[in-house]
Amino acid sequence: MKKRFIASLFLSASLLLTACSGGGSSADPAKNPDSQAGATGSTQLVIAADQDPVGLDPHKVPAVSSNRIYSLVYDSLTKLDDNMSVVPALADSWKLSDDGKTVTFKLHEGVKFHNGREMTSDDVKYSFERILNPDTGAVAKSYFSSVDAIEAPDKYTVVFKLKTPDAAFLANTASAYASIVPKEVTDLNKEAVGTGPFELEKMESGQYVLLKKNPNYFVEGMPKVDSIKFQIMKDEAERLAAIRTGKVDLTTVSADSAKLLESSKNVTIKNYQSMEYSYLGINVAKKPFDDPRVRQAISYAVDRNQLVQTVWKGQAALTGPLSPAQTIWALDTTEYPSYEHNVEKAKQLLAEAGLPNGFNTVIETASTYPDMIETAQVLQQQLKAVGINAEIKQLEWGNYIETWKSKDMDLLVGRNTSGVDPDRSLRFFFSSEGSANVWNYSNAKFDELVQKALEATDQTERKKLYDEAQKLVVEDAPNLFLASPQNFYAVSDKVEGFTPSAAGEVYALVKASVKK
Amino acid sequence: MGRYILKRIVSLIPIVFGISVLVFTILHLVPGDPASIMLGTNATPEAVKALRQSMGLDQPLVTQYLHWMGGLMQGDFGVSVHTGQAILPEILKRFAITLQLTLFGAIIGWSIAIPLGILSAVRVHSSVDVLVRVTAMLGISVPNFAIGTLLLLGLSLYFGWFPPIDVVNFWENPVEAFQVFVLPAVTMGIVLAAGVMRMTRSAFLETLDKDFIRTARAKGNNQWTVVIGHALRNSSIPIVTIAGMQIGYLLGGSVIVEQLFSIPGLGQYILDGIYQRDYPVVQGGVLFIALVFVLVNLLVDVIYTWIDPRIKY
Repeated sequence: MKKRFIASLFLSASLLLTACSGGGSSADPAKNPDSQAGATGSTQLVIAADQDPVGLDPHKVPAVSSNRIYSLVYDSLTKLDDNMSVVPALADSWKLSDDGKTVTFKLHEGVKFHNGREMTSDDVKYSFERILNPDTGAVAKSYFSSVDAIEAPDKYTVVFKLKTPDAAFLANTASAYASIVPKEVTDLNKEAVGTGPFELEKMESGQYVLLKKNPNYFVEGMPKVDSIKFQIMKDEAERLAAIRTGKVDLTTVSADSAKLLESSKNVTIKNYQSMEYSYLGINVAKKPFDDPRVRQAISYAVDRNQLVQTVWKGQAALTGPLSPAQTIWALDTTEYPSYEHNVEKAKQLLAEAGLPNGFNTVIETASTYPDMIETAQVLQQQLKAVGINAEIKQLEWGNYIETWKSKDMDLLVGRNTSGVDPDRSLRFFFSSEGSANVWNYSNAKFDELVQKALEATDQTERKKLYDEAQKLVVEDAPNLFLASPQNFYAVSDKVEGFTPSAAGEVYALVKASVKK
Repeated sequence: MGRYILKRIVSLIPIVFGISVLVFTILHLVPGDPASIMLGTNATPEAVKALRQSMGLDQPLVTQYLHWMGGLMQGDFGVSVHTGQAILPEILKRFAITLQLTLFGAIIGWSIAIPLGILSAVRVHSSVDVLVRVTAMLGISVPNFAIGTLLLLGLSLYFGWFPPIDVVNFWENPVEAFQVFVLPAVTMGIVLAAGVMRMTRSAFLETLDKDFIRTARAKGNNQWTVVIGHALRNSSIPIVTIAGMQIGYLLGGSVIVEQLFSIPGLGQYILDGIYQRDYPVVQGGVLFIALVFVLVNLLVDVIYTWIDPRIKY
């Protein structure tokens, strides 16, 4: 009887399995790339990715998980080198007119899209017009608000006419959100056809994204590996185990995990100063935060060094509104008097503002990111010392974004990417009209400074204006800029020439090779 | 019997309808907006508006619901608002993976649990019984993510072993599929085993006290003939009940285990959908799971009649 029972159990199990096999993929060429690669002697770089890409249209999808893939498939007019300077990519050279209102790009000749057609000035014009078209909903639309008209006088020349001089324009053309796309492809989420170093070979949702080398890539000798496979591994413990056992060659890791891996054989940790920073956002329209003295008091009450030590294990730098990775523009934090940790001064400022006994408030943050929660907790402790009792509310990501947009929070802990050009980090985030200014902050002096800086053609003058703007926004304190973390990669010793930097993963990957 | 099954299947219609309304309203009540989530905090309001429009989210809720239901009637689950991919093929593909994981896990779990449960009941209050009960308690108490992480880290650290990273189906390559699924299945099996073991033990304890068992013994049958031949079938109803519930529950996707071992199963798919407020994905996925759950329950009810012919519907 028992035998019959078990036999029928197996039978029903196998019936169910075959019933569902229609949905499964069968006989799949990418299934066993290792053995294939071995047969032809080609090289593959396997990268652990923590999220599935959510669409591959470079103009529309800002998600990091998507960005790191389409950045390898597409090129932009320019790119950044490791020092964050703008260097040629699809454009060989460019010229700025004397009044700063005309930018002329000369394109690299003979660049081909993955479908074999040559990339010309028409595609550049099409791409930028697509970005500027409000119906597209492009991420980079606001980057190019100064563009008036785009002309393509011949096959390899593109002319941008600007309404006003725009000092940030050139740096913005380096963004992957400003990728050059072919005009014949209508749905870029379904088809990925670029000029970039890699072509999209296969995408298996929840499992992997396979890219293969573009043999006709216009940069001589690049890329070095024949294929890149992004393996989706959502759990950090799994990524750690995978890099240790050599199943993947490369993965980003947290500061904690980097420490764990230090002693592992065959794995090297590489780090760089990121362009991100954590912040405490303050709603300046809400009582009692509408009093600048209260915001100042919070700044004096916060010990930024303790945050660096506790939250980031020492692997972060103090930062202003520009991350220290923006070496040319960022002011040294010693320039900001309110960065001093001074409880007495904070109490005194609170007393002057009529709140000698402190007050109660709420800090909201995203539950998705442990570093944000820890930051909120450390801040809660530090604020308590001056009599401010903050309750922490952890919000699920979608809910967090709603709160962020609401302009109705009290205090909010978050993380920003400060952007390549200071215009983005300052005007976009803090000018009265800035799209990311959700803090109700408005200071006419600041608005004027950043607008002038945007139109300045002289770099020294521009720098001076931005120095002043940085000091002003730190003093007004609509945000407290807390710490800019290091980012970590764990890299297998099989991989050579991978040097990550804030300029972006793509150039490091293009130069990386894998030992056979 | 046939009529009974038919009746049960027909009763699915109001269930599906009810669930669809519930899922739809709850999802849309949750704060958060797919377009803003997709574009992140650096998005301009125009960009969000344009994206919402292209996702069809600017329509009134009732229109959106009717549109979705209209598609469902024709077997069309719609497309993901994020990737534009059709949802039903993705659900089926992922369900196939979840199904393999669940069955593998269940086979491991039950093949430990049922023999041990029987042993524990037969040798009640012996040291074996105590050991089995303590182990079962431990199995229930330790969370599966802890077991899974320990397995994964332990094997990779001390033996340098890591499962193959691409998921393969059993009917394609059984050997590799075995390696892919073995760790998550063991993780799942341990937790399953604990529940089934306790149920088996108590069911057997009750049966072994019955008169017919005493009669069977009195006829001079040996211990194991009595236990397997007479007690097993008479104790199976509660065991099948709990096993059926476990299976139904796990077929909805065991999110934690799937996440830990990067198994692209149904649970992960729906969880990602929730995070991104990918409404059609979550709606379709939950509806599908509900259907599966109901069908598994039906199957269990049918199995009852086979175990105990006295049960008639």
